Amino acid sequence: MTSSFAPASEAAIGGDLWGVVWKLLRLRVLIFVSGFRRAKLRSKIVMILAVALILIFLGFIFFLSWTLLRFFRSPELVSLLGDIEPVLESVPALIVSGMFIGILLTSFGVLLQALYLAGDMDFLLSAPVPIRAVFMAKLLQAILPNFGLVCLFALPVLYGLGISSGYSFFFYPVVLLVLSALALAAAGLASLFVMLVVRIFPARRVAEVLGFIGAIASFICSQSGQLARWGEAGPAQAQQALKMVTRLNTPWSPLAWAARGLVSLGKADWIAGAGLTALTLLVCGLVFYVALVTSERLYYNGWASMQNITHKRKPVRRSYGLPTWMPTAPAFQVWKPSALQAMIQKDFLVLRRDMRNMSQLVMPLILGIIYFFMLLRSGNDLSVGRGEAPPVVLELIHNASTYTSVGLSLFVGWMLLGRLAGMGFAQEGKSYWLIKTAPVSSARQIVAKFLVAFLPTLGLCFSFLLLTWLIQRSGFATFIFALPAVALCIAGSTGIYLSFGIAGANMNWDDPRHMQKRVASCLGTLASTVYLPISLVLFFGPPIAVTLFDVPEIAGQIAGLLVGGGFSLACAIIPLAVVHRRVARLGEI
Amino acid sequence: MHISLIASPRFLLYDIENMTPNNIPLISTQHLVKKFGEKTAVEDVSFEVFGGEIFGFLGPNGAGKTTTIKMIVGLLQPSSGIVKVGGFDVQNQALQAKAASGYVPDESNLYAKLTGRELLRFVGDLYGLQRQQVDRRIEELLRLFDLSQAGDDTIDSYSHGMQQKTALAAALVHDPKVLVLDEPTVGLDPKSARLIKDLLRQMAERGAAIFLSTHILEIAERMCDRIGIINQGRLISVGTMDELRGTISGEASLEDIFLSLTGGAEYAEIAEVLK
Repeated sequence: MTSSFAPASEAAIGGDLWGVVWKLLRLRVLIFVSGFRRAKLRSKIVMILAVALILIFLGFIFFLSWTLLRFFRSPELVSLLGDIEPVLESVPALIVSGMFIGILLTSFGVLLQALYLAGDMDFLLSAPVPIRAVFMAKLLQAILPNFGLVCLFALPVLYGLGISSGYSFFFYPVVLLVLSALALAAAGLASLFVMLVVRIFPARRVAEVLGFIGAIASFICSQSGQLARWGEAGPAQAQQALKMVTRLNTPWSPLAWAARGLVSLGKADWIAGAGLTALTLLVCGLVFYVALVTSERLYYNGWASMQNITHKRKPVRRSYGLPTWMPTAPAFQVWKPSALQAMIQKDFLVLRRDMRNMSQLVMPLILGIIYFFMLLRSGNDLSVGRGEAPPVVLELIHNASTYTSVGLSLFVGWMLLGRLAGMGFAQEGKSYWLIKTAPVSSARQIVAKFLVAFLPTLGLCFSFLLLTWLIQRSGFATFIFALPAVALCIAGSTGIYLSFGIAGANMNWDDPRHMQKRVASCLGTLASTVYLPISLVLFFGPPIAVTLFDVPEIAGQIAGLLVGGGFSLACAIIPLAVVHRRVARLGEI
Repeated sequence: MHISLIASPRFLLYDIENMTPNNIPLISTQHLVKKFGEKTAVEDVSFEVFGGEIFGFLGPNGAGKTTTIKMIVGLLQPSSGIVKVGGFDVQNQALQAKAASGYVPDESNLYAKLTGRELLRFVGDLYGLQRQQVDRRIEELLRLFDLSQAGDDTIDSYSHGMQQKTALAAALVHDPKVLVLDEPTVGLDPKSARLIKDLLRQMAERGAAIFLSTHILEIAERMCDRIGIINQGRLISVGTMDELRGTISGEASLEDIFLSLTGGAEYAEIAEVLK
């Protein structure tokens, strides 16, 4: 019998470009719909609630923008800040520029993942579909979530501006059209950057470095507000900030053309509006087309070169093994490093070498530095308001201020612990079989993970304490008391985090964000958040309180160490004792 | 080809070298059952593997091979039944049992950010070997598996075959008396596959028990002293090639026996229709 398979016609195989793009995109839609159908009822309800919340959020932003923009036109504010109309007309320029730069930056990482690191590329490139279609489908898939997110904030603000300014009807659909065109252009440019970078550096390494930089940058941005001197802000600063907005609305910027076109359309200045909008769409289309054609070529070459990549041999400094200071005498050569040492050494090595881990570990350091500067600036004095509180309260506040640096150092350490202890076991991932099949007891594994989390945190907290003490000279006795208190407090927190980490460890993760089950992760953070203030009160409550009764502070410190130490040790040991049997079952489905 | 196998695991509490090969079961499972919720993956599996023997474990996809293997090496806890390795109960004397065995999984999943040399040293430390021994052993194994040059590169730069060979080297660092391999030749070039076959035979000759699962029936037929066939979680046949041939009539290859026992013979007819 001969085979009944015959080659399909060319049209049936490839189809038109947009047809194939739609086929590829439809697959994603089908996967989503199928996932939703098969999801548990609870997950479905959560999803529907999330959509409802997003819609409510959209409405809220819209209402807020509308109200705020009307408020900006109020005579009182105009008398304070001057004529604000140019600023309001610059709002679209601000939003359009922000959206374009935002999509350009975020698309880089997303496109890198979608174009080079996605698992389906082998399949797609070996299928009889045009490479351009694959590229476009990937591009659209990558930018849609970011575009949706941007629209979530940009659209209500722009529509709010339109309504508060009484813009014409055409303003509203054209806003969406212009934003879409700009998003495509931004994604096209981002894809070009991705392909150029991937031709020089390995895609995976770029992704790691990008993750590191992204995490650090976003964290610094989120914390930078802490350093701002809000108390010194006044009308002059507000005027200066508003002037910065108008600077974005410069005539030579293509992004400003888009914004000016929108405003002109809104004001029914049809010729200027239509001209600028058409120019924007033309430039966007041109950028997208050039990016598409260039990327198509670069993409295939880049992807193909990834398949036979030859790794540059770079000697790794021998970091795992005998310490270099250890003599080579026979007595040392028969030294048997214990499994405990081996696991600790291995963990530190892996943590140091993996950029994904580093970004999470560097964050507490940044936080420490920010709070350190804040502490220095405040001079370690807690605010006592107008000083009208009873003397006892003022005395208590004064005493408590002695321990501010201790509290801050613990807070910084607590953040580091969340990563080190919470994911201590889970970070082993699929490699855990190496330890699980080795003759290493669960207790030893727990001790190793405990120390891997505890020791660096202790080092960080002690360094923080030492620095603040050296600069502030807050009292040697306080410093000495703080050392064991901090160590014990961290031990308790480590025990709590590690226990929840064991209970919620997911050893089959591919994406590091899925190392831990969400519930366990949240409960762990919650438990340690409750633990930290309680232990602080137990450690530092007695020495702060005893001074009110003319009892020497040292007596209070000893009492604090006894009470707080007992509590911390209990928190370090009991939760781990409860979950230690689970270690033997880790990795089992 | 000969490599010196020198290590002595700390937890090996009995003199395994003096045991007479072929009469001591180094792997023994008794009425082994593993359930995942409602589904029974392994049902009442009992067999023994003796020192000096290569035991092939065959079965169709999803038959329960990997689940059984994971229970033998202590990665999965049985729902019921007993597994003994080197005479030790894997559940109650886990450390002793694990010290006696080495394991090569079907997917290596090694620490990507360690170098090959660092990984082997880490494994040596986990098994409590002396540093001097480990270093010598690592050099032997890296040379044996042609990994000397790549030994100081991180594992994420290794090819699939190199990672598989590193996993095998890791299983041999402590010179186990029981070696359990899940699809050991997948992804290996012919030279490496041959090396592994020679190595396993040599270990068996020195008294070790080798337990391997494979889909390549030719390997099982030529290498294994005894073969167990598992289907739908049940061990349906165990024996030497001659004993297995006795289960069906006529001169049969292992492929014929396998298809006859696991009910795959009808697929040959379908393939014939598609020609």
